[in-house]
Amino acid sequence: MPDTLDTHVRFGSNSGQPITRRDGRAKVTGGATFAADNSPDSVLHAVYVPATIARGRVTALDTAAAEAHPGVTHVVTPQNRPPLQGDPSDKPTMFSFRFEALQDDTVRYAGQPIALILGETLEAATEGARLLNPRYEIATPRTGLDEAAHYTFDPDAFGKPADTVHGDPEAGHAAAAHSVDVTYETAPQYHNAMETHAVVASWDGDRLSLDMPSQALSMTCAGIAYYFGIPAENVTLRSPYLGGGFGSKAIPTGPYVLAVLAARMTGRPVKMMLTRQQMFGPVGHRGQTRQRLRLGTDAEGRLTVLDHAGLSATSTFDDFIEPAANASQGLYAAGALRSTHSAVRLDVGTPGPMRAPGEASGSAALECAMDEMAETLGMDPLEFRLRNYAETEPGTGKPFSSKALRECYAQGAERFGWADRPLQPGQMRDADGLRVGWGMGTAFFPCPMFMAEANATLRADGTAMVETSAADMGQGAWTALAQIAADSLGLPLDQVEFRAGHSGLPDAGVAGGSGHTATAGSALHAAGGDVIRQLGEIAAADPDSPLHGAGNAGFTARDGRLYVAGDDSRSDAFADILARAGGAEVSGAGSASRAPEAAEAHAMNAHGAVFAEVKVDPDLCQMRVTRLVGAFAAGRIINPRLAESQLYGGMIWGLSFALHEEARHDPARGHIVNADLAGYHVPVNADVHGLDVISVHEDDPYVNALGVKGVGEIGITGTVGAIGNAIWHATGKRVRRFPIRIDDLLGD
Amino acid sequence: MYNFDFERPKSVADAVKALQTEEAQPLGGGQTLIPTLKQRLAMPSKLVSLAGIDEIKGVCKDDQNRLCIGGGTVHRVIAEKAMSEGFPGLTGLASKIGDPAVRNRGTIGGSLANNDPSACYPAAAMATGATIVTDRREIAADDYFKGLFETALEEGEIITEVKMPIPEASAYMKFEQPASRFPLVGVFVARFSDRVGVGVTGASESGVFRWTEAERALGSDFSADAVKGLSVPADGMISDLHGTAEYRAHLVGVMTRRAVAAAQ
Repeated sequence: MPDTLDTHVRFGSNSGQPITRRDGRAKVTGGATFAADNSPDSVLHAVYVPATIARGRVTALDTAAAEAHPGVTHVVTPQNRPPLQGDPSDKPTMFSFRFEALQDDTVRYAGQPIALILGETLEAATEGARLLNPRYEIATPRTGLDEAAHYTFDPDAFGKPADTVHGDPEAGHAAAAHSVDVTYETAPQYHNAMETHAVVASWDGDRLSLDMPSQALSMTCAGIAYYFGIPAENVTLRSPYLGGGFGSKAIPTGPYVLAVLAARMTGRPVKMMLTRQQMFGPVGHRGQTRQRLRLGTDAEGRLTVLDHAGLSATSTFDDFIEPAANASQGLYAAGALRSTHSAVRLDVGTPGPMRAPGEASGSAALECAMDEMAETLGMDPLEFRLRNYAETEPGTGKPFSSKALRECYAQGAERFGWADRPLQPGQMRDADGLRVGWGMGTAFFPCPMFMAEANATLRADGTAMVETSAADMGQGAWTALAQIAADSLGLPLDQVEFRAGHSGLPDAGVAGGSGHTATAGSALHAAGGDVIRQLGEIAAADPDSPLHGAGNAGFTARDGRLYVAGDDSRSDAFADILARAGGAEVSGAGSASRAPEAAEAHAMNAHGAVFAEVKVDPDLCQMRVTRLVGAFAAGRIINPRLAESQLYGGMIWGLSFALHEEARHDPARGHIVNADLAGYHVPVNADVHGLDVISVHEDDPYVNALGVKGVGEIGITGTVGAIGNAIWHATGKRVRRFPIRIDDLLGD
Repeated sequence: MYNFDFERPKSVADAVKALQTEEAQPLGGGQTLIPTLKQRLAMPSKLVSLAGIDEIKGVCKDDQNRLCIGGGTVHRVIAEKAMSEGFPGLTGLASKIGDPAVRNRGTIGGSLANNDPSACYPAAAMATGATIVTDRREIAADDYFKGLFETALEEGEIITEVKMPIPEASAYMKFEQPASRFPLVGVFVARFSDRVGVGVTGASESGVFRWTEAERALGSDFSADAVKGLSVPADGMISDLHGTAEYRAHLVGVMTRRAVAAAQ
């Protein structure tokens, strides 16, 4: 059983309402149990030893010293690691990563697990890990983009982005009256969810039970099962709450497999929770990029070409190429569009999807390049974007399923006060003498749907229970999905029990790609609709029901009653219909995926416009983002409070991308020198002075029956560029590397 | 956790005796040493706590107008007493170290003995020309600081007192690294009737230093403008992920000007 609230709070009405989070009380009172809160009897604690070098070989481990420490029960190294049934060096599915599970003594990146200690207590295992005292043969690490050969690759659906060309880019360059040719770099970034990766694994014969945070429950079960040679249905995964995921909690990695292996080896439950430092290595990150953008326009500022070439870092043993250049597809109406990707293998852990993978880093470079182009043209950056507004999808000419970007620009600019912006940089100072700059960027994110299933059951008392294995990463899925389910059943929210976060429930797909509400929500909507359809049939056939014989007119469900469509005088309570039918429950099922014909006929994206104000201290070069205004159009908003919160979070992440986040490697050993939250700076309240989100109304009849697009990631896009452009506007300096550092502004 | 011996003597003489054991280490307020132990960056076999020694606690003024601060005095007490004894610049420094918990545990003796390149007190000690008093001798500040985490202290030597000449005017300005709140660069400026002292912490690869060029300029004209044209070379400044050597050199100038302005 997943965790569910034992009391239901009356939330009022459903979709469209700014309801507070259903799990909020449990979280703030400590009632919510996260994976590592589970401590089964006789649990063993697992601690892995991370490599402190990035390239080389482990030559010695003091296993005897670790084994001798009181409380240490097992020391697992490549010499004695029990076999796995699936090879971690393989890629069994498209979404699998190669990883290290103590195959050999090679070190391929800093932070790689090189041994595993099991102990009766966390303290004993931790001390055992320290006593191992690894010695290495150290090779020169390659951690910079120019420290290894660049290569190209054949595209693949996941991790190897295809190149895309529309029109004739060379002709577009030749025809350009004005052009810019700029190169931007983005730093390696590491997901730092508040809840670090954690697992509690226990075996019963060949059945495995897991408490672990997962944003893709059924995919995780299948992934883990592969390495242990058991069917996916033998794995039970409980993931009621996650303290953030951001893309890193979708695919099993080495530490998880080692912990599960340890449980099978010992016959005891095993718990592992990564330290903050261990988050910088084996569990994915956003690879660093270098992006060259060549833009050309005609004399009036219409883009003749938008040419975006991205170079992304990956590991030496797997490919996840941050698809940055793809950010230039689908947004601006250029005469020719080209996005190409190349890669470089470095001694780092394999990158992976990290919130807006590709879109975030690509948008950062694109929106700054657009600003530079506007500067070259002597044109207002917003005016320049409007001049290149795409009425249909650039390159393909497909209509957009909906696109309220013009309204986003207008409402955002109005709220921000953009009309007062001087065209030239360095013109504004505040009362304290700080330099002030204003910048903007366009936000853009696709709205995919995956596949999901859900069940709904109407109980004899007129209440309902709905089920789907949805993942609440903290974004509010527990609440927004329940709102959709309650609507589909015509019940107030407190009459609907919502079960999620458990692999035994119908597959809700992946909480990723900003598509969870659209996908799992559509499945719930269909399941509720199935129940209401059946209930209508029962009522229509029941001579004692006021609805008898009204089946042809159709029914609507509202507040626990069925009404004849268009005739509020004829209705019947759910509980009464069921009581007369013998008190049975009515169960329905639903599934959802994108309708192929709709996907074929339309381009589907969410849009937005972000405006930023920065202030720069002329003496210290300190930068402060004093205002961020984002206007977003993302289809129907199920819960404005939670959607706004998601957009806030995305914009703060954009601020973090622009000014803070960067993993720095030691040049000699290749380890990350700032692998903690003191050195790896993420924004705190003091860094975020003003945030304003505008939800722009948008109806979309094509994306799905609900009209839902998604708000999980779009807030990052646009924001990074808006801040970079505002810093230029304040100082006259173009810094073409993110994060922008304090010393980059020195000497003007 | 590993085992170690722990002693809490009541007098300096007993502490000195306890520190004669091999690998024994004195423990002041523990604001640096305890985290260091937790990270296993140090593993002494014996800790000798100085927290029970009353004779090295307290603040008074001597007949040479020096603020005499016991080595075991915590920052909060120093911040209070420096104000009442007419040394508000030191109050400004001590009251902004760390957070309240740190200021109620951390001691001036511990800070000076550790000589972290980002510690605040060394800047004041250098600028005022302080004297570091130990269980066996007196050391002038100019001779005391020897580089990053290095001092003139011998094994087992305990700082019992710091004697700081009280300036006519003084101020401390630091640029805080946003996460740790340690100064990226901190500058203490002290004006006396016959000279000006400028102590700079956080900046140099050689640890705290006196910016003598600025001292001379300020000696004839104690104003921010007097040091406006001066700069320290970036060569030899610390360069790390928080800021380059050039940026730190730039900060030395800015913080000095701001300290002078604040002292007026």
